[in-house]
Amino acid sequence: MRFLRTLLFPLLALTSFALARSSTGDSVLVLLDPSLKKENYSIFFGDLEKKGYKLTFRSPKDTTPEIIKDDVAQFAHVVVFAPETKTFAADVTPQSLVSLLSKNMNLLLALSPKQTPLTSLASEFSLILPPPGTPLISHFPKRDTPATLIPVQPPRAHHVISDNLAPVWFSGVPQSLGHNPMLIPLLNAPPQAFASDADSDSGADALVEAAEKSGEGLWAGSSLSLVTGFQTLSNARATWVGGVEMFSDEYINKEISKGVKSGNRDFARDVTAWTFQESNVLRIDSVEHNLVNETLPGETYTINDQVTFTAFISKYDPEIGWWRAYSDIDDMQLEFTMLDPHIRTSLPPVEGEPGMYAVTFRVPDRHGVFKFNVDYKRKGWTYLTSTSMVPVVPPQHDGYPRFLSAAWPYYAGAFSTSAAFILFVALWLAGDDRELKKNKGAKAE
Amino acid sequence: MPLAYSLPSNLSPATVTNTSSLLRIISLALISGAAIASRLFAVINFESIIHEFDPWFNYRATRVLAEKGFYAFWNWFDHTAWYPLGRVVGGTIYPGLMATSGVIYNVLHALNLPVDIRNICVLLAPGFSALTAWSTYMFTKEMKDESAGLLAAAFIGIAPGYISRSVAGSYDNEAIAIFLLMFTFYSWIKALKTGSAFFGTLTALFYFYMVAAWGGYAFITNMIPLHALTLILMGRFSSRLYVAYSSWYAIGTLASMQVPFVGFQPVRTSEHMAALGVFGLLQIVAFAELVRAHVSSKQFQSILFGSVIGIGLLGALAFGGLTYKGWIAPWTGRFYSLWDTGYAKKYIPIIASVSEHQPTAWPSFFMDLQFLIFLFPAGVVLCFRELRDEHVFVIIYAVVASYFAGVMVRLMLTLTPVVCVAAAVAFSSLLDTYIDPVEPEASDAAASPAEGTSAAGAAAAASDAGSSKKAKKAAAPDPGVASGILAAVAPSGSGPKSRGIFGLDTRGLVVFNALGMLLFFVLHCTYVTSSAYSSPSVVLASTNPDGSQHIIDDFREAYYWLRQNTPEDAVVMSWWDYGYQIAGMADRPTLVDNNTWNNTHIATVGKAMSSSEEVAYPILRKHDVDYVLVIFGGLIGYSGDDINKFLWMVRIAQGVWPEEIQEPNYFTPKGEYRIDDAAPATMKNSLMYKMSYYRFAELFGGNQAVDRVRGQQVPKTGPTLDYLDEAFTSENWIVRIYQVKKEDPLGRDLKAANAFANGKKRKKSKPLSRRRAVA
Amino acid sequence: MLLLPLLALLSLPFCLAAISAESAHEKLVKLAASNNGLIKLDDSLYGLLTHPKRTWSASVHLTAMDPRRRCTPCKEFDPSFSAVAKAWTHVPQAQRDTHFFATADFDNAMGTFQKLGLQSAPVVHIHLAAEGDRRPASGRSAPIVYDFSNGFDAGPLAEQLSAYTPVAIPYKAPIDFAKYGTAAGVALIILSGIRFFLPILRSRWAWAAGTVLTSLVMTAGFMFVRIRGMPASGANGQWIAPGYQNQYGQEVQVVSFVYGLLSAAFLMLTLVTPYQTHSSRQRLQVYLWSGVIFVMFSVLISLFRVKNRGYPFKLLL
Repeated sequence: MRFLRTLLFPLLALTSFALARSSTGDSVLVLLDPSLKKENYSIFFGDLEKKGYKLTFRSPKDTTPEIIKDDVAQFAHVVVFAPETKTFAADVTPQSLVSLLSKNMNLLLALSPKQTPLTSLASEFSLILPPPGTPLISHFPKRDTPATLIPVQPPRAHHVISDNLAPVWFSGVPQSLGHNPMLIPLLNAPPQAFASDADSDSGADALVEAAEKSGEGLWAGSSLSLVTGFQTLSNARATWVGGVEMFSDEYINKEISKGVKSGNRDFARDVTAWTFQESNVLRIDSVEHNLVNETLPGETYTINDQVTFTAFISKYDPEIGWWRAYSDIDDMQLEFTMLDPHIRTSLPPVEGEPGMYAVTFRVPDRHGVFKFNVDYKRKGWTYLTSTSMVPVVPPQHDGYPRFLSAAWPYYAGAFSTSAAFILFVALWLAGDDRELKKNKGAKAE
Repeated sequence: MPLAYSLPSNLSPATVTNTSSLLRIISLALISGAAIASRLFAVINFESIIHEFDPWFNYRATRVLAEKGFYAFWNWFDHTAWYPLGRVVGGTIYPGLMATSGVIYNVLHALNLPVDIRNICVLLAPGFSALTAWSTYMFTKEMKDESAGLLAAAFIGIAPGYISRSVAGSYDNEAIAIFLLMFTFYSWIKALKTGSAFFGTLTALFYFYMVAAWGGYAFITNMIPLHALTLILMGRFSSRLYVAYSSWYAIGTLASMQVPFVGFQPVRTSEHMAALGVFGLLQIVAFAELVRAHVSSKQFQSILFGSVIGIGLLGALAFGGLTYKGWIAPWTGRFYSLWDTGYAKKYIPIIASVSEHQPTAWPSFFMDLQFLIFLFPAGVVLCFRELRDEHVFVIIYAVVASYFAGVMVRLMLTLTPVVCVAAAVAFSSLLDTYIDPVEPEASDAAASPAEGTSAAGAAAAASDAGSSKKAKKAAAPDPGVASGILAAVAPSGSGPKSRGIFGLDTRGLVVFNALGMLLFFVLHCTYVTSSAYSSPSVVLASTNPDGSQHIIDDFREAYYWLRQNTPEDAVVMSWWDYGYQIAGMADRPTLVDNNTWNNTHIATVGKAMSSSEEVAYPILRKHDVDYVLVIFGGLIGYSGDDINKFLWMVRIAQGVWPEEIQEPNYFTPKGEYRIDDAAPATMKNSLMYKMSYYRFAELFGGNQAVDRVRGQQVPKTGPTLDYLDEAFTSENWIVRIYQVKKEDPLGRDLKAANAFANGKKRKKSKPLSRRRAVA
Repeated sequence: MLLLPLLALLSLPFCLAAISAESAHEKLVKLAASNNGLIKLDDSLYGLLTHPKRTWSASVHLTAMDPRRRCTPCKEFDPSFSAVAKAWTHVPQAQRDTHFFATADFDNAMGTFQKLGLQSAPVVHIHLAAEGDRRPASGRSAPIVYDFSNGFDAGPLAEQLSAYTPVAIPYKAPIDFAKYGTAAGVALIILSGIRFFLPILRSRWAWAAGTVLTSLVMTAGFMFVRIRGMPASGANGQWIAPGYQNQYGQEVQVVSFVYGLLSAAFLMLTLVTPYQTHSSRQRLQVYLWSGVIFVMFSVLISLFRVKNRGYPFKLLL
């Protein structure tokens, strides 16, 4: 059965995602503001189409094609490149965009220093934007570009962004991150950078004044994020980009320094790959639990049973476009829970069994309805959650030891008493009562 | 001797006895028929449906028994009840009822009579009521004679006090328990009279059945020892008593310990210690009697007497010590609250909150046992008149039961049988006196000095026999009321002749009067049964303006909605009253139910209901609650709804979390319990209030919304819900079901998410850490 | 540079508070010691006691003892509270000074009453510590309101307050000598007069009377009145409580009397009348008792109809 299933999944994947590079589908809607010309972004969109995505372009104002028709999502991913658009069509409101996420569509949104509906939406993702009209500024390194166009070094050893990319050109707004564990910064501002209204760029003191006045402190430092990923509980992904220009042909072709091309193109590739659920996508194929050295899954378990829990996990491989078993998770945990976890143990991969994770433990000495909980949440990776319920019952009426050595006195007592009784009855019946009568007579006199 | 009316004299005694026994059998059959028929109102008015709350669990358990067999039933672990704790059913119930109907079910099916298990459950109580009538007949026969027995059978057959717990569909332990009670008592009396170990064993067997059937068996466990003890104190110890009691106690105790739920209680808890103590005392007394029979020395007997007392005292001391050491559990709360009536409210609010544990006001006594209630003392007095051992039993039973019935409405059930018996004794002796055709010689007939037998006659003879007028005057005062009372009080009056009724009209009057009362009683019982006791609180009935009956079926509507629209394992939270019904009709897991074994778990539900949404939500999520069910009667004026029970939830929760939940916060500063604008904030924010009145005001259009139970005006702007969604509201709004929202996919708290979804602008948030320039 | 003054400014109230908290505590200790464990509060003292930075907890009893206020429960409850406060003075110094008992009378602390918006008295507030190691985990600062559901006795009060004091309040109810005395006296009388009582104990009719009376009283709803503490008769002099599940004390007497009369009549008919050997007198008796039965029964029915309005049947009236 299990093997059949493990075979089945790749086949399904093969048939359905033969073309797609994404695990959730290949249709992309691009809401492109007319002000940004499509040809200025030809490389970016070209790369997407090369990957096999079907791009549909639409201006934020017009109403067709609909994103959601009859409550059914028409696209797998939506790119909103309308950083300066003040008014959208009726079906593109902050609320509707959130609802897209709950329908498991992925979003790529671009921001700008201007105040737009998207700005208010950003706060729902616990992103905090600086006041309108304050782009990121950095005077380092010395360069000929304006202070708002900044070369930023992508992060190293980041499991979403591939390593040693060249610096990327960025211009736009930074975001400060709230306490939301679902946020994952993809590109951080350089330490020397700060946000301020570009024209009155005159000395630090003025800046501090402003900061104190606004009561928000100083928008500066590497804790600011420029490109931020967000993964919802339902594993839909949304990426917020501080400035749309970083995907433009101009920035892609612009050289960092002599002969060094900018990293924008690769960076864009990585960001879209993550956003459209190509990379870092996991899933739990199946979970099973059964008594030790039994194969059939148990309906119920008795207290103190030895139980084995098994989970099969696979990872989406964009190269071949299907799922393959994945055994590299080493920090996954299993909880055996009733109200509170009674048992919390690590769920390690099994040697030689690709994608199989198993652990054997003793059911606690407590009856009730327990749950096998797997809850694996890591930044940038798909959340793995699985819950399967099983009643744990006390022993059956004949499940207890039958003859206790401690009870021998009682057995002996019972048997001896009954034996004595029988003996007594026998004697009583055997004996005759003549002299008894005599006594009676004697008494009577 | 003179006769008031002539009797046919040409009948052989054999014919008379045969006819009378035939008549007895026929009338018993008719009584059984009446008993069964009068309990079928519920089925006729509504349908063949299980009633109320507990019966739903019994019914469910019986289904398991009938489908899976006895062992599966015994080991049944119900993981849908008390989620997620689960309930070990086999070890926590009295299986007698289920076993009984299971046996009936199997027998019928063995006979190829494919009867639905539900109908067996519904009709079990009426069937057993017939048996109760029979056993009451047997019992009363031991007290007086067959005629009294028949009367008692008729009384208990239709007395509302017993019908209230045994109408068709009220499938509860009491349905069979009363029969077992009466039959156990009957065989006890029989054993005591005949001193036969056989009847003692029979008592023990039925006692075992009773233990397996009803928690009220403790009543027997203490009644019989009390009776025995009283007899000993009255100096009526006899070998008959010894044999009867010993055989009952030995076998009965061993048997009762076989019931899993009882286990070792008979030797470990105080409720059973009386029986044990009397058993010990009997052995001592018996030994003393034995010695006395052989030794004749006066001093030795006195020593013996002293030693008996001493040993008794020692036993009492040992008992006290054991209790103190904790070897013997003290009274359980339910039992203790019968003596210290304030105890339950203070320490076990759950018990106090049950409506049938409230004290009884006199109207319900009269409602349940109309004219029997005042015949009852008369019967007790008659028992005192000829004070045989069994009469002592009735007397004790009368006192104890009337006290208990006064303390708890529910225990009216145990009072009813003894009332019926005593009343029957009184009534039949009245009829005996007035139907008996024999007339005594009257003093005015005593003018002729020939017959001077009667006291009056003697008196007349004593006086000058010449003028009978004088004689009358002289004789008249002598056998007046005073002497009459004296004669009556004397156990067996004076010579039978002097006792009797003159004339036919007197007889006619009294008998007519009596029959009138009986007729009235029948009318009363029919009325009460049909109006009060035959509604299966699952289905409510109201009358339309035109007088026709209008069925309010919200409960089943809602439960079936749950059954058909929610996933199998959707956990439903409600107050514990509805746990069994949800499990039985909706077949969904519940957090708490009517088997209130876990106070903390109930308090958890109480806390969730009585605290604000923000506090309640984590509790709901932790217990995997998917739906919350509340009962709300404000629209049609159904007074038994959750807002009226709300204070109990608060109290019970307060018992566990005194810091977080406090009863005073739910009252207005003036100490009123209100739900209108004046209601305190805590009340208005409580989950229960919000769920009850959510969108209630909208129902009235612009007009002032009025709660028809509380008779108060509901605020125009109703409460809002952020963490729950209204899922279902039944036709008359009696049942309202809410779905618990899942966490927000963006990880916001649901309040904010709701505000955003409704398009509310949230104020611009500031960065978390105030970053400062290091100057 | 411009932050230092700011910081100072910020921290200023804190230090002030700290100082005054200390002093407040000493003051309270003195006050408590002076007036055996009970602090009499006015508005300012109340402020001190419920100090925002208090390291101590306090039970504040808000009452209105002035006769003009006509607050009987206050008078009833006040001794219990002071008794508990006095009991608290017996615990060792270390714990004693971390919990205070205080009484605020309406006439001395009107401001407090207004501030708290209290309409009714008595009220007991328990203020938990706001600072220090006795600060509750919940960080609750709002006072806990004592629940009077257990009545005004000192026993339950001490028991419940002990949940908030560092150590349990060593309160012991004073021994009620009067009760024991009377009990002993009665016992003595019975023992001495045993030879007079013995015949009564031995006579069955004494027992019969006892039994019958008990069952009559019980079936007339005596326990209901006792448990629910119903008044003997309602307001505006009505003695029949409306409603089916309700009754007043007087109804017990009336109903049990009616029951008694009825059963007496039956007994008369059954036991006494037959011994009347004079036919006309006997006939008279029979008619009399039958009439009594009929009339009393219809009276009973009419009583019942008052309680239970839907009841369709009636006899004479």
